[in-house]
Amino acid sequence: MIGQVIINGILLGGIYALVSLGLTLIFGVMRIINFAHGQFLMLAMYATYWLFQLYGVDPYISILIVVPLMFVIGMVAYRMIIQPIIDASEMTHVFATLGLNLSLQGIALFLWQGDFRGIRTSYSSMPIHFGALYINVPRFIIFLCAIATILALFLFLKKTYTGKAIRASAQKRVAAQLMGVNLSKIYMIAFGIGIAIVGVTGAVLMPIYEVFPSVGSLFALVAFVVVVLGGLGNLGGALVGGIIIGVVESVSGVFIAPALKEGVYFIIFVIILLLRPTGIFGKAVIH
Amino acid sequence: MANQHFLQRIRHPKVYLTLIAVGVLYSIALSVKNPYWGDILTMTFLFGALSLSWNILGGYGGQFSLGHAGFFGIGAYTSTLLLIHYHINPWVGMLLGGVLAAVIGGLIFYPCFRLKGIFFCLATLAFQEVMKISAVHFRGLTGGAMGISLPFKAGLANMMFQGKTGYVLISLTFMIFIALFTLAIERSRFGYKLVALREDEDATETLGISTSNCKLFAAMISAFFAGCLGTFYTHYSSLVDPYSVFDMMLSVEFVIFAILGGVGTVLGPILGAFALVPIDALMRGYLGQAQQGVSFLAYGMLLTVAVIFLPRGIMSWLSHPMSRLIETLSGKRTGSESEAGRIETTGERPQQISRPSEPSAPILELAGLDKSFGGLKVIQSLDVVVREGEIVGLIGPNGSGKTTCFNLITGFLDTDGGKILFRGEDITALRPSNKIAKRGIARTFQIVKPLAGLTVMENVIAGAAEKSHSIDEARVKSANIVDLLGLWEYREVKASSLTLGKRKRLELAKALATDPSLLLLDEVMAGLNPTEVEEAIQVIKRISTRGITLFVIEHVMKAVMSLADRVVVIHHGQKICEGAPQDVIQDKAVIEAYLGKGYQYAEH
Repeated sequence: MIGQVIINGILLGGIYALVSLGLTLIFGVMRIINFAHGQFLMLAMYATYWLFQLYGVDPYISILIVVPLMFVIGMVAYRMIIQPIIDASEMTHVFATLGLNLSLQGIALFLWQGDFRGIRTSYSSMPIHFGALYINVPRFIIFLCAIATILALFLFLKKTYTGKAIRASAQKRVAAQLMGVNLSKIYMIAFGIGIAIVGVTGAVLMPIYEVFPSVGSLFALVAFVVVVLGGLGNLGGALVGGIIIGVVESVSGVFIAPALKEGVYFIIFVIILLLRPTGIFGKAVIH
Repeated sequence: MANQHFLQRIRHPKVYLTLIAVGVLYSIALSVKNPYWGDILTMTFLFGALSLSWNILGGYGGQFSLGHAGFFGIGAYTSTLLLIHYHINPWVGMLLGGVLAAVIGGLIFYPCFRLKGIFFCLATLAFQEVMKISAVHFRGLTGGAMGISLPFKAGLANMMFQGKTGYVLISLTFMIFIALFTLAIERSRFGYKLVALREDEDATETLGISTSNCKLFAAMISAFFAGCLGTFYTHYSSLVDPYSVFDMMLSVEFVIFAILGGVGTVLGPILGAFALVPIDALMRGYLGQAQQGVSFLAYGMLLTVAVIFLPRGIMSWLSHPMSRLIETLSGKRTGSESEAGRIETTGERPQQISRPSEPSAPILELAGLDKSFGGLKVIQSLDVVVREGEIVGLIGPNGSGKTTCFNLITGFLDTDGGKILFRGEDITALRPSNKIAKRGIARTFQIVKPLAGLTVMENVIAGAAEKSHSIDEARVKSANIVDLLGLWEYREVKASSLTLGKRKRLELAKALATDPSLLLLDEVMAGLNPTEVEEAIQVIKRISTRGITLFVIEHVMKAVMSLADRVVVIHHGQKICEGAPQDVIQDKAVIEAYLGKGYQYAEH
């Protein structure tokens, strides 16, 4: 049984890692904590849901539509909200994005009410068995997606000009500008990419999760925990942090009490914050 | 001013305008009979009060808690449980709930204060979530997710009323009380310390102020009020449940009202609540189904827009016309009052202390001081003695360890070896650094650290706050110092809009306000033009005649030559020369350190 609990935890960790990647990327590049991160996820989930309901597009196929859509939404949000305050204080960042968070929730509530909406696919609860243990297929796909996304992101950051410019801007804003990097464009693209990753997440989550206007807060709180645990701005740290939190949640849900499992990781979160505010892997920013 | 008669005080426009406003609010509260409007008023006053209590820590102290609903909830549960299980009167329960909220607030915030900015927000948010999860889980105590209902028993003693008027009056009274309390804090020495640390913690520590104690105190007051209001809310809604009191959205609302109205002001949170709560309630009434969505959208957009375009809130529009109105109403009174204050203070000149001709007792001794950053030895077995009443110059090429030496003395860095004695007492390991400042060592920073958002006068009062016995004493002392340093005409100017020369003088003024016996000056002349240098030299001489010992890092040789009794030269963290200024600048080792080996035979 413990084996199954840990497998479940690792798979859950894949979800958390995928949710957190965009958050940590955006922080790593432009030092912005995006409090509307979860609400972008909510939008991506609704997009996937409606593509399925109205046009019968399979959630995995809808990645092709949702990701570019979220990329554009991300860039627009950057231009409208983040860019005007990019040099303002941290608290300004927090409350401007918190405002965006509420606005997006408001739009969702207004358009689609508070109902829980889910998609039933043929594979939603399909298991693969290994003796006594089993793996849920959609969850496994999310896990693979998380790893694939991190690898793709690494390649992009290392190999392409834009990727290198993003890394340069993350290292030293002013120096990158002096080297001829168009900072606001690079930031806009980086923000767009961060939100596009949320698009991937939203699409692959729909076969197993239901969407409702405040679904984002649920994931965003965990994402903060994961990101701080893995080190803000540390992409690999997000994967490891996600898996740790997933396993902690899964194990404490079984061995302590299901209702307290979130409490356990919040306490771990606070302890990590107080003892090692740079995360367990230290201050590795995007290099 | 303290013994001013009440009738005289009431003639001041600030006082009577406040009284009129309070009167208007109470008459509105009494005249509203419609329960719908009664509810809106109650919620408006309640949120005004809650936002005010958040504002004490968040606005004045600059610690943005995103978990304040947690204390609201603790207060609500405490009084409810005491009432249900032990029949304890809700008013008593309210105070106990407030005290418990303050204690838990202290325990939570104290470790969190080392976190800065966003991390502090996240930690407070996490604590609040833990409270919610616990309240849901520990059903036996809290009634779980369903919460606890309160039996209805009307009467002031039970904090429950038929109709809304009673609730409206109580919530209004709470709001006014907390507003007046905030006002009292704002004008106290504690208030000055609190806003000082909000602007710059390091600079505040050097003023001898314990920033962690101030933050803790503010946090506990803030949590106490939030807790008390929790009790009121529970009795108003006759229900307490985890999702309505430990709600993140609730915490966010406290902050939104304060931000929209103006963070760190008395009126700001009230204005914010007055602007938003009724709109929200009216939308709920007219929009029905889609309401929640629209209200979220409106809140969200208002918050974003306010943060981007109106970062200092509604108060940034109002504060100027308001002070003009008060000035007009009071005629010239306020202006002449402060002029009088000045004359009164400049009268008391410090007695001139003659410079001792014989060597006096050592005030500061550095013995075998060592400091390395990684492999780099910045200070190597440095011995320096500074004697009472002296002006000692500390010079050396860039990177020779001068500022590091000051940072070691003032406790900003830990030594790797050696001792620092102040008046014979070992202060090497005395921490946090405010304790060193409290003993009488003040310093300035090479890169000046003015409390940017405060006026010149407020900066200096913050410096005087710790050592003064009353705020009036601090004001008088500060006026004296501001005058001494020639900043009198800039006293109402924000520190952030001063020129560099003035900022450097303000840095000196703040340090002087702490009543130091030893003053460490770190390049106060750098970047000044020749006239300003001349002025600064005169100012330092005046300071010295007050009997304050000076230890001065300076690159401007003219200043060193004309000021210092003795000069210590360091290079690569080692003392290479010490003596009278004229002798030192002829020393071969010194010339070599500054100019390189090729110049060692340079003629003067």
